[in-house]
Amino acid sequence: MNPFVPIDTGSGFWNPLIWVIVFIIALLIVYVIRGLGRGDYKKNTGQTKPFLSGNVVENDEQLHVKGGNVYWGFTEAFKGYYNKIKSMHTGDTRDYVLWFLVMMVVFFAVVLGVM
Amino acid sequence: MSLVETMEIVLWAILGTIGVAVFGIFVGLLYKGIDRKLVAHMQARYGPPIRQPFWDMVKLFVKETVVPEHATPWLFNLAPIIALAASIATLLYLPIGGFQPILSGEGDLILVLYLLIIPSLAMVIGGFASGSPYATVGAQREMVLMMSYEFPLAITIITIAWQLKNTFADHPFSLATIFSQPVWGTVGIVGLLGFILLLLVLLLVTPGEISKMPFDAPEAETEIAGGLLVEYSGRNLGLFYLADAVKTVVMGSLIVAIFFPYNLSTILGIGGIMAPVVDVVFYFIKLLLVILFAVSLVRVAVARLKIDQIVYTYWIPLTLMSLIGLLLIMFDSTSLFHISLGW
Repeated sequence: MNPFVPIDTGSGFWNPLIWVIVFIIALLIVYVIRGLGRGDYKKNTGQTKPFLSGNVVENDEQLHVKGGNVYWGFTEAFKGYYNKIKSMHTGDTRDYVLWFLVMMVVFFAVVLGVM
Repeated sequence: MSLVETMEIVLWAILGTIGVAVFGIFVGLLYKGIDRKLVAHMQARYGPPIRQPFWDMVKLFVKETVVPEHATPWLFNLAPIIALAASIATLLYLPIGGFQPILSGEGDLILVLYLLIIPSLAMVIGGFASGSPYATVGAQREMVLMMSYEFPLAITIITIAWQLKNTFADHPFSLATIFSQPVWGTVGIVGLLGFILLLLVLLLVTPGEISKMPFDAPEAETEIAGGLLVEYSGRNLGLFYLADAVKTVVMGSLIVAIFFPYNLSTILGIGGIMAPVVDVVFYFIKLLLVILFAVSLVRVAVARLKIDQIVYTYWIPLTLMSLIGLLLIMFDSTSLFHISLGW
């Protein structure tokens, strides 16, 4: 089998090997462009301190932004939905089993209805 | 496939990448200059000269490239290289200058959609590798932004492919197919309205893809001091600047290829050596108009949205718009709703 023949699903197609070649060449071009620039800086000076708008930080832990904030945009935009979902999480196993049964009934109704 | 054919493809890919890199960087910076000039005039300012982005690049390349003390140096330095390389590689799969894509038989629109993610992802990685709280917040916002605009973008692309699949049997995602068969001619009046909606969606996804107003919350200079780029300087910042310029050309060329693939030489019946010249000039005009409507006008007219407003805008109104577009095009394919345009 020739590895240069594109993978074709009938609808979509691509040639991974050509992409890798193209990407490596693009990386080399960018590396050459980067080489045109200046690479030096003054190590271990105030220059390398993170920019904090002049705020004083006593220890590095204060610089940490929690991963839990990643989806803030989503949870804030859809807080009505998330608040409803949260209130459904009672922590009671019987409630979860009931939800499971209800969803299975809906699922079978949809599947049987379609069939 | 014979060895000669294989070597031909590889050689074509190598030369194409070099050519496209020069083209993408030059045209990207030129359009950046035009965009800044136009925006300045819309705001009753003189603005910088059109060649200013070229001087900005020179300035960035002669400045120091600082690596902050809390950064992960190899990731911090690698991210801008990946961003620019991926942007250049994507251009190879798109029709540029009124011609078929250089790698038209080697990848389709689905591949382009995935490649478009890489520069944004590289910016996210660079932001997280900066070791700065501003950059981390910017990187988190960029991730949320990516998840927001992908949904309406995917619906738009799938709808176009679905319509082409109905009209032409093979490879509906092929950009060569899309480029040679304008979508407008495949539908009636109802479908035309659907495609207008999809065009609007794609025009509004563009500022999100390239983090421009009103969807530039990941950078937000006045709020998080440049966000994921806050710690970048010198040649690293210069590479991100170039990646942004090339990605603008990528998004502009994508919209031109899908919705405005017409060549002036065909319309006016121009042949011979003048045909490609006329087509290249016409492509640049189309690209300028797309960038004007999708980037310049939008960023002058609308203030920056908060990240939750961005999520809402992409997930509710724009997703609904793309779904309505999909439904209209589906209805158009039935004999009940199909009213021919007589094209």
